[in-house]
Amino acid sequence: MNNTLIIGQYVPGNSVVHRLDPRTKITIIFFFVIIVFFANSFWSYAVLTLFGLLSMFASKVPIRFVMKGLMPIWFLIVFTFLLHLFINKDGILLLEWSFIKIYTGGVIQGIAISMRFFLLILITSLLTLTTTPIAITDAVEQILHPLKKIKFPVHELALMMSISLRFIPTLLQETDKISKAQASRGVDFRTGPVKERLKAVIPLLVPLFVSAFKRAEELAMAMEARGYQGGEGRTKLRELKISKLDIWIYILFICVIIGLFLTRNYG
Amino acid sequence: MNKSVVKSSSMPIVEMAKIAIVTSLYVVITAMLAVISFGAIQLRLSEMLNYLALYHKRYVYAVTLGVVIVNFMSPTWALDVPIGGVSTFLVLILCRAVTKNMENEIMKIAITAVIFAFSMFTVAGQLTLMLDLPFFHTWLIVGLGELLSMTIGGIVIYFLSKKIDLSR
Repeated sequence: MNNTLIIGQYVPGNSVVHRLDPRTKITIIFFFVIIVFFANSFWSYAVLTLFGLLSMFASKVPIRFVMKGLMPIWFLIVFTFLLHLFINKDGILLLEWSFIKIYTGGVIQGIAISMRFFLLILITSLLTLTTTPIAITDAVEQILHPLKKIKFPVHELALMMSISLRFIPTLLQETDKISKAQASRGVDFRTGPVKERLKAVIPLLVPLFVSAFKRAEELAMAMEARGYQGGEGRTKLRELKISKLDIWIYILFICVIIGLFLTRNYG
Repeated sequence: MNKSVVKSSSMPIVEMAKIAIVTSLYVVITAMLAVISFGAIQLRLSEMLNYLALYHKRYVYAVTLGVVIVNFMSPTWALDVPIGGVSTFLVLILCRAVTKNMENEIMKIAITAVIFAFSMFTVAGQLTLMLDLPFFHTWLIVGLGELLSMTIGGIVIYFLSKKIDLSR
């Protein structure tokens, strides 16, 4: 069953990065994504790369998991590198072959853009690799909490996310079962003309939708029977807490930001 | 009399459950039927779920949440989640508003496909920001790909809507 996209992301562990409050991770990654665009020199990229590699080693997540995140987009990185290599005409001419001319500016820009993308993926992957989806949902609920003042349904949103995360493995199994049942009846999803293959998708989707709606009604009934009431005043099963470790990581990240701005335009 | 300190939710439980389960369905369809390829043409089947918003308002939330969860699995989630989430929500609202008074279902599907293809400037903008790609060329390529996926997805959802009442 192909469930690597959803379930395979999180790598269980007890590393420094795993122990961080998910809000800390989301906040730091969010600001990292912004500051990475301010890097414009060798040393500024070096500061960010050092932080990225340190975070990755601290997470104790095997490198192959990080590389797995890169796999679907390595083509895009290579394509972008080549694009900048061939269209940028700044600097000294390095190579000339037929109509292809490569300048130093193209090489530098290609490396810089690829590096930026690599850093983005490295750091952002660490959240999903070291945090369970349910912890991310709890953190998102806490981060969005101020929006309650404008009557944004933060709690409902978090609840719906939690329920849907809970049901993803169940529906994955259901889909697998239905597609195998249809395949045993001779439905072919992989070969044949476009029209036939599109037709083949319908018998898969109909029972899937019907069973999903049935599950939703059963779930709602079960929640109502147990007297579920959402909103303010509810206690939480999982409480998030900012620890000393989180404070130290924030301080380290502020040092990285200062380091980045001090090294801009150098090298 | 004891006054409860728990304020009840603003949304009916059945609605929340339906939204949550359709959100799961979105994620599952994206994962299991991620791409159906016809030679060089790649169709993202999950794009067809955008049309669900035309049948009921609850699917606007379900699809948006689905996009948020799926985007969290992307290596560039820090950009994909806020940009993808907000743009999907706004585009779905826009599609519902534009097609509100239309009777012809095929026309509704066609207009939605065009709006979604046009809205790909958000993805193009993101790629321009991250990779310094030329904006208009990227928009054109991504937009055409989306239009193709949405057209094929529209055919699937049209036939699906004939089999199940998606508005219930």
